[in-house]
Amino acid sequence: MPLQSSSRPRLTIGCRAKSEGENWIVIFPEGVLRLQKTARAVLERCDGERTFEEIIKELQALYSASDPVKIRKDAEMFLERLRERRVVDF
Amino acid sequence: MLDAPLAVIAELTHRCPLHCVYCSNPLELVTRKSELSTAEWENVFAQAAELGALHVHLTGGEPVAREDLAQLIRHAHACGLYTNLITSGVGLSEPRWNEFVAAGLDHVQLSFQDSREADANWIAGARSHVLKLEVAQIIRSSKVAFTVNVVVHRQNIQHLEEIIALAEGLQPERLEIAHVQYYGWARKNIGALLPSLRQVLESLEIIRAAQKRLSGKIRVDTVLPDYYARFPKACMGGWGRRQLLIDPCGRVLPCHSATVIPGLQFENVRDGSLEWIWRQSASFQKFRGYDWMPEPCRGCDRRSDDFGGCRCQAFMITGDAASTDPVCSLAPTHRLIEQQVFVNSLAGTSNQLEKSDFERQQIWAYRS
Repeated sequence: MPLQSSSRPRLTIGCRAKSEGENWIVIFPEGVLRLQKTARAVLERCDGERTFEEIIKELQALYSASDPVKIRKDAEMFLERLRERRVVDF
Repeated sequence: MLDAPLAVIAELTHRCPLHCVYCSNPLELVTRKSELSTAEWENVFAQAAELGALHVHLTGGEPVAREDLAQLIRHAHACGLYTNLITSGVGLSEPRWNEFVAAGLDHVQLSFQDSREADANWIAGARSHVLKLEVAQIIRSSKVAFTVNVVVHRQNIQHLEEIIALAEGLQPERLEIAHVQYYGWARKNIGALLPSLRQVLESLEIIRAAQKRLSGKIRVDTVLPDYYARFPKACMGGWGRRQLLIDPCGRVLPCHSATVIPGLQFENVRDGSLEWIWRQSASFQKFRGYDWMPEPCRGCDRRSDDFGGCRCQAFMITGDAASTDPVCSLAPTHRLIEQQVFVNSLAGTSNQLEKSDFERQQIWAYRS
């Protein structure tokens, strides 16, 4: 099922995140992702509690100078891609 | 500036109840009495984490054969390492599994040899298939990330669709379909294992279809057979660049099979710090970076993608570990690979699958 407003994205089991200075490292089977500012901002909100809609609202407030439509689109693509790699579930 | 190793591969033991004909362990196995002790492994894990490693792959042989495995997992986890257990499943009871989970295991990779019991047991040289199915159930009832791994080759590749269906039923997060790499016992048995070009192409099509169908459900990763590739694989992500391996007696190696290369002396964690071995030892510097490279690698645009391929393969096939990996279509020795592929397509052992034990020919040597 594609990502929907009501989806509640979360890290897949076996994926662990930890801080590395300002950045976040996500460690998963056979791989590592290093996430900077915006990517970190998206993924640290994927706690399985917040819906995608709520996450987007928060990001749009956080980056109020950016185009809100682009924020939604970028976050959606990012999460879809991470789901293909089985780093995120929703 | 040299980075820290991302991953440490810990070959805890070479003991194994299986005798898989493509095992990547060296032909000369380390005996039990020379294995590192619990305290020595704990020390190694602490050093690895200190050095900046993120993953530890607990493998073997069969790591479950180590009675102290739960303790080793607990310690690696406490050091902050991501713990990955690579197992055949044999010897893994439910109480033991629960100990591993409680110890902080992050991920487990369980191997299967085929979709059908008789064929799987024949490839493993042991009655193990049914046990593995039981272990898969035990694993799936807990919340640990789960990968099913299947090694494919000339003998079982015709069951690939069935193998994928079996894996799907076990509900892992990830399925790894790995074509055999020709090291260790697999190199010895290459005549029986190397698939034909047609088999390889068919398998890639089946894998692609599975990736599409299972997207978002099971991540399907694949290891391609490099004998059929145009360019070599970036073996280990480059010599001494991303990963290191510690064998059961504590020798620190840049890869699984580096001991085949003559003239290299490998340091032991019993004699020196992991950091010194990683940064300074002669064996880790030998093929690190680009200075050692011959042409055509030296002037090649791809040198930072594949690092000249695999040093062990270069040695085993050309006799010179510092030559371009012969699987590369640009290598001056590439014809040696073409010959092997050609010979196999003419004279490779016929398929023995689905024959009864009495009819099957002895086409390979089992790992001891």
